Amino acid sequence: MFYRLSLLLLAMTLPLAAHSADRTVLNVYTHPSFAAEWGPGPGVKEAFEKQCDCTLNYTVLNSGGDILQRLRLEGASTPADLVLGLDTATMETALRTGLIGEHGRSLEALDLPIDWDDAHFIPYDWGYFAFVYDTQQLPEPPTSFEELINAPDDLKIIIQDPRTSTPGLGLLLWMHSVYGEEASAKWAQLNDKVLATTQSWSDGYFSLFMNGEAPMILSYSTSPAYHMAVDKTDRYQAVQFDEGHYLQVEVAALVESSDQKTLARSFLDFMLTPEFQTHIPLKNVMYPAIDLGDDLPSVFDRLITPEHTFFLPPAEVAGQRRQLVNNWLDAMTR
Amino acid sequence: MHSTPTKAPFSHPGWQLIPGQLIGLALLILVALGLGSMVLTAGGLDLSTVLNSRYLRGVVWFTVWQATLSVLLSLALALPIARALARYRRFPGRSALLRVMELSLVLPTIVAVSGIIGVYGRQGWATGLLNEWLPGNGWNLYGLNGILLAHVFFNAPLAARVMLQSLEAISPARLRIASQLGLRGWWLWRSVEWPALRAVLPGLSALVFTLCFTSFAIIMTLGGGPSATTLEVAIYQALRFEFDFPQAAVLAVIQLLICGSLWWLVFRQRVESALLPNRQVSHAVPLRAWRAQPLLAAALLALFSLFLLLPLLAIGIRGLPALLALDAGVPIYKQLLPATGRSLLIALPAGLASVAVALMILASANRAKNPLLKGIPTTTGYLPLIVPPIVLGTGLFLLLRPGLGNHAQGWVLVALINSLMALPFVIQVLRGPLSSFDRHSLRVADQLGILGWYRWRRMYWPLLRRPMALGLAYGIALSMGDFGVIALFGSPGQPTLPVLLYQQLGSYQVVAAAGTGLWLLMLLVFIFGLLSAIGRPPAHQSKSRLPETTLEPEHA
Repeated sequence: MFYRLSLLLLAMTLPLAAHSADRTVLNVYTHPSFAAEWGPGPGVKEAFEKQCDCTLNYTVLNSGGDILQRLRLEGASTPADLVLGLDTATMETALRTGLIGEHGRSLEALDLPIDWDDAHFIPYDWGYFAFVYDTQQLPEPPTSFEELINAPDDLKIIIQDPRTSTPGLGLLLWMHSVYGEEASAKWAQLNDKVLATTQSWSDGYFSLFMNGEAPMILSYSTSPAYHMAVDKTDRYQAVQFDEGHYLQVEVAALVESSDQKTLARSFLDFMLTPEFQTHIPLKNVMYPAIDLGDDLPSVFDRLITPEHTFFLPPAEVAGQRRQLVNNWLDAMTR
Repeated sequence: MHSTPTKAPFSHPGWQLIPGQLIGLALLILVALGLGSMVLTAGGLDLSTVLNSRYLRGVVWFTVWQATLSVLLSLALALPIARALARYRRFPGRSALLRVMELSLVLPTIVAVSGIIGVYGRQGWATGLLNEWLPGNGWNLYGLNGILLAHVFFNAPLAARVMLQSLEAISPARLRIASQLGLRGWWLWRSVEWPALRAVLPGLSALVFTLCFTSFAIIMTLGGGPSATTLEVAIYQALRFEFDFPQAAVLAVIQLLICGSLWWLVFRQRVESALLPNRQVSHAVPLRAWRAQPLLAAALLALFSLFLLLPLLAIGIRGLPALLALDAGVPIYKQLLPATGRSLLIALPAGLASVAVALMILASANRAKNPLLKGIPTTTGYLPLIVPPIVLGTGLFLLLRPGLGNHAQGWVLVALINSLMALPFVIQVLRGPLSSFDRHSLRVADQLGILGWYRWRRMYWPLLRRPMALGLAYGIALSMGDFGVIALFGSPGQPTLPVLLYQQLGSYQVVAAAGTGLWLLMLLVFIFGLLSAIGRPPAHQSKSRLPETTLEPEHA
């Protein structure tokens, strides 16, 4: 029995050892929604490998936060050549690790709602945080924070925890941008409307929102595009808030200690070409970072277009985040 | 090779002692490294940061409070269930109910929670009924309600099973005497049932407490908001966005202190459960009952079955459309099947390893005389429960850096950590049966030279077969559903089932995700069914030839 077991074990682990890499490899740290089968990852890999004579290798970490954590733990010995999947709220933290290199790329092709001239990070997509609602449950959603806060108590929303999720932090920054000093008081008022504060966007969307537990959830202005284009339903829509919306930009950067910098830079260039960007709208469900012209799916014309864009510089976010989170905790637990 | 029976393979006492010690030491080093690295970066531990923060004090208090309530509720429900199951053995569906009870513990949280919401959420079936019967009842799943409900759903079946195991171990002689004396109610409980349960209650309470204390996903989804935050969440936050090693270290140490001292108390007070031989009663002994008792038990068991099955049914109803839509544009099986293969590739070795390691650890703990040597393997069995995975992960990382190059190593590593995570449960399953050999039998075996491999093959294996199959099922199932460890170590682009589930969630594939959830559930049911069939000895062997008859001279 003992010997048979060990043979079995050996036989099961052997296929794992069969792994070869003879071409140049570009190691990219990214998160699941990019690298997933339905994400832009596979298409991007195929298109880039066609032109680079290299292998594009994704290491999939749970989130932007985990990418940073891994990078910090590995330090200069990291096998990563590129990180892809950080956003404006985590950029500064990444920079402070001292592991991010300057890109030296031209940013002319960029088409964002704000000016972008960062020396380290290159955006690859963007979108606004917004509340998505179920038109069947809630035909007339509140159209501003004020209306939401003053809505009847049976109107419930799902938000995400700013300590563990990007959109959650986005809402914190959004409220802060709208209300400034008053934000804490407004949070305390909003507390009655919050059905649940989930760990991640997907927990809230899948377990709660899609189960019909609440008619409104904090998400992205682009979310309805997926429902309209792929699920073929107009049921879920984003609501445009009068105060304006907070912008999220997702970025990539090269790792200073990489010995494949040339290749990494050519990938960063590739990121701003249509070959990369056409995978963004319906696979990452965000706006592309360059003007795709007619290649932008038509459902994107039916999304909300905020009249006012809020955006805090990454350094400011890094400096204030902790205080804002603590204020939020205080307001929500009082 | 086997010609000299006196020199059985593995008969040196060291084989029982040393592997368990080594594994124990390795795990201790891992935890020390993980925690040590945080403390070093922090330059020391400063407990006052927690004591001075109203929020963090609240977190510690709430963690303890919800865990205590969860233990009380879980045990209060488990006790009557276990008694009913022990007394009424012939009700239809008993073994099916036992399978479901094994299953609930290993259901991946995200899948189970979605089922619970389907039943008790705002749009849930039970909520709908309740609102019809009792309008304005104010039931709200989100908050302490939801946390407790989910914790009871996960832990009451586990507790009931452990209690049932002890109740079934009551010696027939004792039951017969009780029956002759016509004991019932309070006196039966006092003289027969309570003494049997007393031995397992401390360990069981500590296990459930620890599981609820370190609970994470349930708290985040059903807790409703930051007023329901546990230490585990706070640790996660400190590391995830803030890279605040000092804070994470302080919080992790507090968690270790609270859960660790609880386990220390349990082990100090532990009534030696090995005194109770773990033999199945072959015939139910007719005990006197109140007239309404069978009816009450039936109603209770029916309600409990509903409680466990309704969420599973909700998962089924949500997931079925995706699994049945074979041609509807979503080629779901193209992802599901390879992901299943990958999951099994990790889970099978992890399950086997967890059983093997559990046996080595238990052997070592039983063998060791020196309290320190006894302590190492004993601690190891429970450490994975109370150490936040992120601390373990960090330790492992520091230990292996920079050697983590290729996928193969990553996968082996994931399997290894998964097996460690399953260890506490597998140990719980194997501890009783392994230590149930009475000293007398062992002495006889010593005299006959039945040692090492032979002793294992002829004495332990027939008795351990079923518990080992159950332990294996736990080990495999827990790694099948694992998301944390695999995410920590950067799974390759090829997802396992839980990673696939999260990927689908992250890309709006809600229907496909529900399908994957159901698939995972069915796979777990299949694994438990298969292993319990394998674990059952073949019919002609069931009147076990060797141990009980020959090695039990004082048979009553």
